Amino acid sequence: MLWRFVAAVTLLLIGDRAAVSDGDWPMPGKDYAATRYSSLGQITTANANRLHLVWNFATGVLGGHEGQPLVVNHTMYVVTPYPNVLYAFDLTQDGYPLRWKYRPEVSPTALGTACCDAVNRGAAYADGKIVYNLLDGHTVAVDATSGKQLWRTRIADMAQGETTPMAPLIVKDRVLVGPSGGEFGIHGWVKALDLATGRIVWTAYNEGPDSDMIARPGTFSPFYDKGANLGVSSWPADAWQRAGVPVWGWLTYDPTLDLVYFGTGNASPYNPDQRPGDNKWSSSVLARRPGDGALVWAYQFTPHESWDFDSNAEMILVDLTVRGKPRKVLVHFDKNGFAYTIDRTTGEVLVAAPFTPLNWATRVDLTTGRPLVDSTKLTGASRGNVKNICPTLEGGKSPASPSSYSPRTGLFYVSTNNMCMDYEAVQATHIPGTPYIGATTPYHAGAGGYSGAFIAWDAAAGRRVWEIRERYPVWSGSVVTAGDVVFYGTLDGMFKAVDARSGKQLWQFKLGSGIVGSPISYLGPDGKQYVAICDGIGGDWFLLAGDVRSDDPADVRPPADFIPDIARRTSQGGTVWVFGLGTGP
Amino acid sequence: MTIRVALGLALFCMACKGGAAPSIPPTVRSEAHVPAGGVAPAAGSLKNPFAGDRASADEGGRVFTSMNCDGCHGGGATGWVGPSLVDGRWRYGGSDGEIYLSIYSGRPRGMPAYGGILSGDPIWKIVTYLRAQPVPADVPTESWQGP
Repeated sequence: MLWRFVAAVTLLLIGDRAAVSDGDWPMPGKDYAATRYSSLGQITTANANRLHLVWNFATGVLGGHEGQPLVVNHTMYVVTPYPNVLYAFDLTQDGYPLRWKYRPEVSPTALGTACCDAVNRGAAYADGKIVYNLLDGHTVAVDATSGKQLWRTRIADMAQGETTPMAPLIVKDRVLVGPSGGEFGIHGWVKALDLATGRIVWTAYNEGPDSDMIARPGTFSPFYDKGANLGVSSWPADAWQRAGVPVWGWLTYDPTLDLVYFGTGNASPYNPDQRPGDNKWSSSVLARRPGDGALVWAYQFTPHESWDFDSNAEMILVDLTVRGKPRKVLVHFDKNGFAYTIDRTTGEVLVAAPFTPLNWATRVDLTTGRPLVDSTKLTGASRGNVKNICPTLEGGKSPASPSSYSPRTGLFYVSTNNMCMDYEAVQATHIPGTPYIGATTPYHAGAGGYSGAFIAWDAAAGRRVWEIRERYPVWSGSVVTAGDVVFYGTLDGMFKAVDARSGKQLWQFKLGSGIVGSPISYLGPDGKQYVAICDGIGGDWFLLAGDVRSDDPADVRPPADFIPDIARRTSQGGTVWVFGLGTGP
Repeated sequence: MTIRVALGLALFCMACKGGAAPSIPPTVRSEAHVPAGGVAPAAGSLKNPFAGDRASADEGGRVFTSMNCDGCHGGGATGWVGPSLVDGRWRYGGSDGEIYLSIYSGRPRGMPAYGGILSGDPIWKIVTYLRAQPVPADVPTESWQGP
């Protein structure tokens, strides 16, 4: 009976994603809802201890390997960090040789404009094309079969501090992209490109006048906020023009509601004294129509963001029963340490609860949607050095480390950090193309003697179900499978499989470098289930700037003071790894 | 804010009138360069008019912050996303003139060219500030004990 129920649920899920072959992994989050759930069930809690390495390949690039491989039609696609080489591995042949390798033209200038390492968060597949962003502000489309470049469009302006490490989302014939640059005072936006030609179809800003935001009366209806031109009136004078509010995380799509969801980043500069007001729509989730970009609703997680609490983390779309009622929700684990369960039709917050230790606010008022802030943790140049704010600006969870969701367990699997910071803000000057920051923010480990944890989260109740404490902040994404196995990696390079229901560790394997990428699972041409992951520590300043680097004798760094022994266990690298139960290629 | 930036830049421009522009560009004379035939290429030299001057170094520290240099190189120039400028290690040469050129013309791996908004005195003062910082002893071995 139970078995029959599970089979029926599985069939329903497959029906939901009819366009996707379930053995493939065609987009960053696996599906439009970004569940990172694989319905493959060959690897189970009973046999995961027999997993072994079947293949690996050095990308030839050092630095933070965020993002995830794609697998489509028995080909695996991997984008490297700058210089953004795209590899296409033939999974049908012994040793997975390359079908082709694409080396784009990309400017090294981007290395100084990217705030936090030269990462890339992956590609997306649609209509025979692999589409991804180059760090220097271009989007490219490459023929998935031949590797030939089909189009290349400039989407961002490095002279304004914009770079483009994020992974696009492709919805029908639209490629949706956004910029980084919250540390450079950019004027944040999202653009839609035509999938066939690369032409920019629409540009929608995340702040500024309603006309620039494509926020039309009658269409734009936020649940909590009322009034016109909030993207101007919530900023002093013309500060919205250098607002930051980047889009460097993940996008999701609900085909039934025809809404795209994405988070926006911090307000610029880090010194909040320079921008009194709510600073909409920084640190928010926005819901837009993919066809014309129209803004339908928005919700700001952290009004007058004062801690670099970007909200670029994934918005995972699931259907949950909350307080007895079935709801279409999005679930979001914010840098600010709260996990939000939000009605994705209206933008109403249903549940908001801390998923990691935090002290900048006491709770979120669900009637207003606003956090109740501890005024002693407010920052600004007028407040001097504010001590011991939890979490840090790295986030209670890094937005670069996407969570996964299993419809079988009903749980989310989340990489979290337990760190706190001091925050000393100073006046910052906006000079286009240079950093616009204005804060010094040293970190220390949070209470409890651990710096990170991998947790299972019940988003209907807003509670942690289990946790695995780790020595270092946990910076990888995760994948959960129909075998009830969850995979994640650690900063010291341990790739782990754990039981999705209990959190019990089933297996681990030491990779060459620390893990900040996201694992995937796919069905090989031999009909067997595999798991793939890239290693390569980096992706944030403390991961790239510590003593884990050994590639430049002109740039030797002391250890980061809050993870002083990380270089004892890992160094920079960059390799694609595949694990399975069988003998492999 | 915009007014303040404009004022700041105007002040720097006034200051830069007193600075000497190089007539013959110097080369980067890093020891990493091997001169073919054992003969170093001819090059002009740049002289820092404020070398060793404490007040200029202090002023240079303020310019370092106001021009957002600390946004990449960290407070005190001890390194952040960009490398430390006070550890005695130089990718593009560590003489005063070489540092001047790195700031003026930029460097290919991400260092912006500041020559369009700064030249002469303020750049020399940044150079003087950097050269005034103590360079820690280079300890090439890092070791660990215990579990």
